[in-house]
Amino acid sequence: MNTNLIKNKYKIFTCFLLLIIVINIGCDKDFLEEKPQGITTETTFLKNSGDAVLATNAIYSSAREWNFYSGGYPILDVMSDDAVKGSNPGDGAFLNLFDRFQFTSEIGDVSRWYSALYKCVRRSNIVIERVPEIDMDGKLKNRLIAEAKFFRAFSYFQLIKAFGDVPEVTIENPPYNLIRTDKNKIYQDIIIKDLEFAIEFLPFKDKYGSADIGRITKGAAGTLLADVYLFRNDFVNSEKYALQVIESMKYDLEDNYSDAFSIKGQHGIESVFEIAALPEENPTLGGNQYANTQGVRGTPNRGWGFNRPSMDLINSFEEKDIRKDATIIFLNEVIDGITIVGDRTTPDITYTDETNTVIKEMETYNQKVWVSGSTTVEEWGYNVRIYRYAEVLLIAAEALNENGNQPLALDYLNKVRKRAGLDDSDIIDKEILRNQIWKERRLELALECKRYFDLIRQDRAYNILGDKGFIKGKNELLPIPQNEIDLSNGLLKQNPKW
Amino acid sequence: MQQTMKIKFIKRLALLLLFSFYIQFSYAQEKSISGRVLDFNTGESLPGANIIVKGTNNGTTSDFDGFFKFNISDDDKILLVSFIGYEIYETPIDNRSNYIVRLKSQDLSIDEVVVIGYGSVKKSDLTGSVSSVKGDDLTKIPAASIEQSLHGKVAGLQVSNISGAPGSIPVLRIRGVGTLNNSSPIFVVDGIILDDISFLNSADIESIEVLKDASATAIYGSRGANGVIIITSKSGKSGEGTTFNFSSEYSMQFLQKRIDLLSGSEFARVVNQINPGTFNNIDLVANTDWQNQVFENNTPLLNIQFSFSGSTKDKYNYYFGVGYFDQQGVIPKSDYNRITAKLNQTYFFTKKIKIGSNLSLSSEKRNNAANVISQIYRAWPSSLPINEDGSFAEVNGSGNPLASISYNNSNYDKLRSVGNLYADFKFLKYFVFKSSIGFDLGYGKSKNFAPIYYVSPTQQNVTNDLTVYNDEFFTWLWENTLNFDYSIENHNINILGGYTMQKMTFENLGGSVQNLSGNDPSLWYLNAGETPTQRSFNSGSASSMISYLFRANYSYSSKYLITASLRSDGSSKFSKSNRFGYFPSFALGWNLSKEDFFPKNKIMEKLKLRASWGKIGNEKIPQNERFALVSNVENAVFGIDEKLIAGASLGNTANPNLRWETTTQTDIGVEMGFLKDKIKAEIDFFDRKTEDILVGVSIPGYFGNGAFVRVITNAADIRNQGVEFNLGLHSNIGNIKASFNANGSIIKNEVLKLASTTGDDSFISGGNLSNGQQVTRTEVGEPIGSFYGYEVIGIIQNQNELDNSAIVSGQEIGDLKFKDIDNNGIIDAADRTYLGSPIPDFIFGFSTSLKYKQLSLTIDLQGQTGNKIYNGKNAVRPDLYNFESRVKDRWHGEGTSNSEPRATASGANYSASSYFIEDGSFLRLRNVSLQYSFKPESLSKFKISQLNVYIKGTNLYTISKFSGYSPEIGSNDVISSGIDFGSYPVTAVISFGMSCKF
Repeated sequence: MNTNLIKNKYKIFTCFLLLIIVINIGCDKDFLEEKPQGITTETTFLKNSGDAVLATNAIYSSAREWNFYSGGYPILDVMSDDAVKGSNPGDGAFLNLFDRFQFTSEIGDVSRWYSALYKCVRRSNIVIERVPEIDMDGKLKNRLIAEAKFFRAFSYFQLIKAFGDVPEVTIENPPYNLIRTDKNKIYQDIIIKDLEFAIEFLPFKDKYGSADIGRITKGAAGTLLADVYLFRNDFVNSEKYALQVIESMKYDLEDNYSDAFSIKGQHGIESVFEIAALPEENPTLGGNQYANTQGVRGTPNRGWGFNRPSMDLINSFEEKDIRKDATIIFLNEVIDGITIVGDRTTPDITYTDETNTVIKEMETYNQKVWVSGSTTVEEWGYNVRIYRYAEVLLIAAEALNENGNQPLALDYLNKVRKRAGLDDSDIIDKEILRNQIWKERRLELALECKRYFDLIRQDRAYNILGDKGFIKGKNELLPIPQNEIDLSNGLLKQNPKW
Repeated sequence: MQQTMKIKFIKRLALLLLFSFYIQFSYAQEKSISGRVLDFNTGESLPGANIIVKGTNNGTTSDFDGFFKFNISDDDKILLVSFIGYEIYETPIDNRSNYIVRLKSQDLSIDEVVVIGYGSVKKSDLTGSVSSVKGDDLTKIPAASIEQSLHGKVAGLQVSNISGAPGSIPVLRIRGVGTLNNSSPIFVVDGIILDDISFLNSADIESIEVLKDASATAIYGSRGANGVIIITSKSGKSGEGTTFNFSSEYSMQFLQKRIDLLSGSEFARVVNQINPGTFNNIDLVANTDWQNQVFENNTPLLNIQFSFSGSTKDKYNYYFGVGYFDQQGVIPKSDYNRITAKLNQTYFFTKKIKIGSNLSLSSEKRNNAANVISQIYRAWPSSLPINEDGSFAEVNGSGNPLASISYNNSNYDKLRSVGNLYADFKFLKYFVFKSSIGFDLGYGKSKNFAPIYYVSPTQQNVTNDLTVYNDEFFTWLWENTLNFDYSIENHNINILGGYTMQKMTFENLGGSVQNLSGNDPSLWYLNAGETPTQRSFNSGSASSMISYLFRANYSYSSKYLITASLRSDGSSKFSKSNRFGYFPSFALGWNLSKEDFFPKNKIMEKLKLRASWGKIGNEKIPQNERFALVSNVENAVFGIDEKLIAGASLGNTANPNLRWETTTQTDIGVEMGFLKDKIKAEIDFFDRKTEDILVGVSIPGYFGNGAFVRVITNAADIRNQGVEFNLGLHSNIGNIKASFNANGSIIKNEVLKLASTTGDDSFISGGNLSNGQQVTRTEVGEPIGSFYGYEVIGIIQNQNELDNSAIVSGQEIGDLKFKDIDNNGIIDAADRTYLGSPIPDFIFGFSTSLKYKQLSLTIDLQGQTGNKIYNGKNAVRPDLYNFESRVKDRWHGEGTSNSEPRATASGANYSASSYFIEDGSFLRLRNVSLQYSFKPESLSKFKISQLNVYIKGTNLYTISKFSGYSPEIGSNDVISSGIDFGSYPVTAVISFGMSCKF
């Protein structure tokens, strides 16, 4: 009995020792290799055409971030003469720093905007870098790469307009020691080449199936390139690409001005580039907070009420210009059967001085982002219009005027004026017509985040914004976010005077 | 509801009784023996000593004069006499008819054995800093979680409640906050490493040891940095007969304190100042006390335990315990109940081979309270709770709390089993090999259902909806250790080596659905809802670990002690190059009092010095951090009818170079004993520095991760320095046995390094109030998560002061005046400053125990000083809410107040500032209990050896200046702790109970 037990004891013991040795040798290597569960890792992604489509779709998702276009709120309009901060005085008081040009390179909103644009660049680079390697249908492959190239060009164009020279990133994982690249090089190497590629390989708007409406089109790429050349004062090329879009006959003006940016006109005849969104208070479910930040504050509660139209803008519309009422929500106005009461905590009107004669500011809202409904959720479904056909006409008009073709310029200008309920213009003097076109741009595209960069491009920013605090030689560009300079250990140099 | 619970309970009781009959025992009564039990030193008689025949449950207890008499059988060989505080005495049964037994009082400090990692050691041979909590202290507090019994019991251990909800688990911090990430210690229950011990019933616990310094914790390597709590459950002891224990306790809970809020008319007056004309006739304003409306008084808590343990012929030792715990919360529809079963057994094959198992089973059921504390706080007292037609009324300021409770249905059930099976082999005289397979498996499910209801436009649910969530986890742990124990002359050597493997998996599965066909719980299934609204989710994780461990102890005549240990852990959380971490420790001990030169006076008899150093790790970081993952929620919107279309891209930049957080700890301790150990004292000085703490580090924006996305990197350092002391006094004053214990610890916490010295990474903002304010900041030179905001220096009294003060734009006379730190004439973000820390400077506990004849009284006190609390619930006011009564002292004209501003509902007075900072110091009467133990002789005829009845109170009184429910504001998030958002109040409890042994 006892000896048996002892024998057993040693048997068991030996077994244990053996087991340990086996496990030590056999499992050690793999035992500690645990993959993430239920999540794909980098190494297995972008191997087939399905992934290529997914990765391209993800670029559109980054464009739906509310500070992707115009820096949120939007900063761009608040800095211009079209708008003031809005909301009630205490809410988002830091936005006054933009209105008064008192912000510094440390302000987070500039950093957020910069990062949001580079996020889109990264998503685009992933497609541009990896999709060519995938074995798939060549036509689809080129289209997807062209979509990505459009977004990369768009993001860099925004970056250059805002910051000037910026780090040039065309690969997925950039190094840590990038410096700022000359913007002309980025125009040449990235923006123009990408857009030429996009124009070549993207389909026209009507060639997409109904399920793909909202994807980038040949017309969008052409418009962007026309706009790029316009910004660079290359009017010949600007005219060329704007006319290409016009002559494609794929677009027209909406009969009703409001439909050009309302929910009703989404993906309509006038839409050239818009970012589709769904009424969900969650970006991953399709929402975009762009309109919510500007929506009516108070009653009806449609949003935060930022980007309040300035008195200067309100007073700029001619009496019979139907765009004034379509652009600005005044208190007690009734829209879609809803009476606008507004925010009770804000003074309706403030005056510039104690004699109470000149109105400095009154409670109004941006009507272009108005969405009917009972809750703020609907505002998240607003599609931001980045390019609409009216702008293509105005780009063409401006370029044609500069290139000496005033009659055709007037044709396009008057199309826009006519819809606005205005009489045809017959100015043929280049200088006067230029100013007329600029004024038309302002009123037609008011509160669509075009004005600020227009003023810079037209070299009139100091004249017009000087009273607000615009400093010549400084405010033509935003500062490179201080955090970026800190992280680069000084490799990134700041813009002048910042 | 109540009815079904009672039925459930009766069923469970019946089961329990069945178990007790299952054990059979017999009595052979053939001859009678008698004797007397006396104290060895004094000769005094010892009443209540246990006298049994070894290996049986036949026995009795001595009477008031120490006499005993009972019948034994002829076969009985050995008599075993035991008494608390005395050494066990064995004597052979011979022909004597009268046995005089002299018991030696136990020298606790010498014989006390302390459980340490992978072994145990005599207290006098211990080189590390370890505190033990034993016996009655573990069952004092009527709460489900064992952590509750540690409040104020261990020097250096801070226990703070996050919530007073039934079954809630407090936050534990050993020797301060050592990391910016998970700072909780690990638990080791019978050798199994765990994070959650809610399955354990405190009645099944033998002892808890808290391992604090590196010498003690380094054997747990990468998991020891936040401290280790070893829990040893009860087991049967060789040589004991079967003992049965039964105890039952009934408690009533009530609110210890209420928040002083405005009454209806007081509120109306304040509102009329803010928005004139809101209330036209203040006399007609209703007055609803929402705290009275919601909180229930004297809600019951029931705790019943039954166990038996013993040994059969010294071959098979067993402990079996079952427990039932049932707690109703003070908020209606919140409760918790738990059934636990414990079976620990050991079987000795031979003297050298032993196998055994420790098994736990538990079933927990919880109904979660509706989130009504903030509603109670915010609701206008001028609103009525119920309409005339009996429906819930619309309540201004918040939803109707009564409606929220009524429509809230949220429950969580959990089944858990934890245990191990092990075998011990002794061989070659000095070696013991032990192999143990442990497991921890759990299955939880929760359901949340909201019916259709309408109370007001802001409190309504248009479609009913259901969310279900199931989770399961499974961990196995295989440990193999080889122990070598060798003594020759004065040299003692003990060497331990080991190899362990562990694997942890977790998976959840859940879904939601709307438009269920009805509200009945029988329909709370996804299938009962509308199919197109169904959504599901499912995710999981897996991690594994391999460890090698080694420890050597050497002592020379118990004078000189040396311990060295090394553990190497490999974890799947790190990539190959950083996978293994090495955690060494080294410690020395010197029992000076055993030296010949030590003066043999009668005052100080014991003196021991010890010092330790070691490195320990923290691996509690998310599993997938090192991987570059694909984000598959980057969806696009396409189509003429606009649909969400799937998109995916590479996620954020990953950091494959992650490695362990490492804590280096140095500890110097002194242990002293005076007057025959009547006074014992222990002091420890420690320095604990954690390096390579994982923090998010900014990377250039052009990487394209998006704004403020940071990459987790090993970059921060934190130091905790402190002193801990323990003092114990034991004395007999006349007939009163008195003992007094005090412990305390002083801690200084300081951030030494963050990712950068400049820019955004030079501080970490925390304490998000979700109104855009972040009220804490973690920065080099300050304690973790210190409060940060404007410093209030008074009230702006008049126009002149307003014109000449730095203000926030829009401020008016009567508003708070903030300090212009940078003296630039305006108040802005640059004027924020540090306003105090949520980490206490000093935490302490006292306990007193007095015994007089059959009565015993214990009193436990506990507290802390030096910490601040941010009154977050008062600070967040997106709308007009009720106010705290301090508003009654508000400024209403020059000179009327210099601390309480004019009444406002928004604006600068609600900026993050010292106005919302309150003193978090407190002294709490944690427990007071009075117990009567029946005289053994009066019980012996019922075959009962011990019967106690008691009444006790928990948390009956707290001295504190804090305005909220409880000054303990625990948080798992170390950079956002100490903010009172209004959590479920911790209650006071009065309990009645009995326990008996037979």
